[in-house]
Amino acid sequence: MTASPRPMLLAALALAAGAALVGLRDATPAYAPYGSAAPIALVPSLTGEPEYCLTCHDGIEEISAAHPTEAFGCVRCHGGQPLALDAETAHAGLLGGRNPSDFAVVEAACGGSECHGGTAEESRDHIQRSRTSLQATYAGAIAAVRHAFGAQADSVAHFAVAAVSDPTVTSTTGLPSLEAFAPLAASEPAQVQAFAERCLTCHLNSGAVDRPGYQRQSGCAACHAVTNWEGTYTGGDRTIPRDEAGHAAAHMLTTAIPYSQCNTCHNRGNYSLVDMAFHERTDLAVDGSASRLAAYYQPISQFSACEWELDCVDCHASGEVMGDGDLHSQMAEVRSVECRTCHGTPTEAPLTRPITDPDDLALRQARLNPASALQLGDTVVVTDHGDTLWNVRQQLDGTFELTSKVSGTVYAVPQVSGSACEQDPQDQAASACHECHSVERP
Amino acid sequence: MSSATARPSFFEHLHPPSIPEAQARFRYTFGLGGLGAFFFLVVSLSGALLLFYYSPSSEQANASIQLLQYHVPLGWLIRGLHFWSGQALVVTTGLHLLRVALTGGHRGRRRFNWLLGLGLLTLIVGLDFSGYGLRWDASIGWALLVGTNLLRQLPLLGESLYRWAVGGPGLGEATVLRLFGWHVFGLMLPALALLVWHVFRVRRDGGIAYSPDSADEPAPRLPRRELVQRELLAMLLAGSALLIVAAMAAPALDGPLDPAALSTEVHAPWFFLWIQELLRMGDPLWMGVALPLAALALLMLLPYAIDRGTILGRWLPRDGRPAQMLALALALGWGLLTLRGALR
Repeated sequence: MTASPRPMLLAALALAAGAALVGLRDATPAYAPYGSAAPIALVPSLTGEPEYCLTCHDGIEEISAAHPTEAFGCVRCHGGQPLALDAETAHAGLLGGRNPSDFAVVEAACGGSECHGGTAEESRDHIQRSRTSLQATYAGAIAAVRHAFGAQADSVAHFAVAAVSDPTVTSTTGLPSLEAFAPLAASEPAQVQAFAERCLTCHLNSGAVDRPGYQRQSGCAACHAVTNWEGTYTGGDRTIPRDEAGHAAAHMLTTAIPYSQCNTCHNRGNYSLVDMAFHERTDLAVDGSASRLAAYYQPISQFSACEWELDCVDCHASGEVMGDGDLHSQMAEVRSVECRTCHGTPTEAPLTRPITDPDDLALRQARLNPASALQLGDTVVVTDHGDTLWNVRQQLDGTFELTSKVSGTVYAVPQVSGSACEQDPQDQAASACHECHSVERP
Repeated sequence: MSSATARPSFFEHLHPPSIPEAQARFRYTFGLGGLGAFFFLVVSLSGALLLFYYSPSSEQANASIQLLQYHVPLGWLIRGLHFWSGQALVVTTGLHLLRVALTGGHRGRRRFNWLLGLGLLTLIVGLDFSGYGLRWDASIGWALLVGTNLLRQLPLLGESLYRWAVGGPGLGEATVLRLFGWHVFGLMLPALALLVWHVFRVRRDGGIAYSPDSADEPAPRLPRRELVQRELLAMLLAGSALLIVAAMAAPALDGPLDPAALSTEVHAPWFFLWIQELLRMGDPLWMGVALPLAALALLMLLPYAIDRGTILGRWLPRDGRPAQMLALALALGWGLLTLRGALR
């Protein structure tokens, strides 16, 4: 039998088909759908190693002015494979998926003594501070519920959502360590078990409830990466679907945190110990269009103008929100801002201190915020705990001005001293001030 | 050029002037031995090209593959061809063994070549395993750990062999260089030598086993020009298939392996799944080492002690039932274990 030319022709066609497929595959690399004609290289000055993430992620926002892309690139914080040009390989070993600030990986992503952790100075170890803060441990809620249902005699915290310890206790109420709460739940009263089952999502270790209005990231990004009502991305990275929830609105970290970000957890409803459930507010528009006044507080509340005109971060200092480095049992232990902190008392002006050290924490914090005008030599308000409100400055004429950290608007801060205010310096509960200075919700 | 009297080309000259047509029947051999040789050629040539970029150190290995895969022009194709021809080589070699066992091709004077073939298969599996390890990404950790630990199970020499293989008391810095050495020299050179010897023995033993049916009439013969054309046809088709598969499916690549932090996902390459399943069943020495070696020993003994039949040149000869049962039982066992591992 002689080989006829036909099989050979077919084989040649098969080879041509193979070659054509190879050509096609070579001409359409995995990044082609994102519009780049060729790989885009970036050699961050901090690592000196080329990375090609921008080949697909071209157009993504710089994460913040403090982390310039030319210096940090992507891999220093996100991990992943700098040379790979298809999503699967490139994203192998990503720290925390799309969120490297998740507390499970934050030490590797954001930590280190040169960055946000691992330093002996607690005020600069933001990772340890945040992970021991009440927003991360949820220790106050756990202790209160266990106390309410008889599982513990007092309301001192013993448990956190994850085991956590603090080797350097500096405050009188600080605790050396907290045990993980969940493993114990089986031996707890039924109500506490129900609490463990349903109510352990509102803390920084946890991701968000996947519903409009609750959209936020976990870890540092929960507060510092601003989300919109739907949790959709609206920035310039072509790889991120525009209709997918679970994203920050832009690939940006900020200290100008609007009240709406705090509202992804706070002011959304009420916890009921009776049925151990979260009851969502019914007075809010479901599309997120509620006015600022309405979105802030529930109808029953009383509040003064500064409590809704300003943003939460304008008054609530870093030590309150991100923790003071100690493990605490309840917010009252870390609360340091009161009305008199800014407004003084009938006989005393607010506590202040001058900024004299160019490396002052307040100056460093202020530099991160575009609204800040703080200068070396300025005098700023401090709390009894020593927290600095760097955005409340005393003017040369002795008056005080607050600069909104979010909008940059400058507000004159009226003083009690010399006014008709009948404040009792010993009664600093907000309700005392609300007796005269309250606003009604429409 | 087309004249039969023309001087044969180099490639024609590698063949006998003509062979009995019965040796070249496709449905008798499926061309598996020849295909195996072709895949060996492709895997060797593509491997030689990979040597230009592969960097055998634990820090650089994975990055150098990424560089090749994503930044070297057509590097992805070279890697794809190397990977897929390596897989195809294991498959064709295994099927070739089964074909020979089921047609009695190991009988008579060909039985020594059966041993050479078994040696080749063993080396090829070793080459595939070491090549898999050279990927040095997070997905290979467990298989590499388990596979190399099997060496330790061997009595007396085990620990020394293990250190030879991985370059230290455990997987680490030196392991990539060791795997590399084994892959491109330690296993490759013997495999090449055995392949040449194997092919030489095929010809020395009278070509592919066949039955000279009638002594009266000369059996129809196939001239070598035709044989070379058929081989060319097979190589074109197999080469096209490789190109198509390489263009459509890239071999997996994960981030760099950190031997100190192995992923908890136990994940073996497909040709290693049967060992993984055996290991799940019991003692590593017995299930992971003794049993596979016993299977190999049975196969080695097959033409010497198990099968003494004489019929050649047809599928499933009557006088070879024990050998056929053994080969099929081993193939079935291998297949079921692999399936079980794949479905996990």
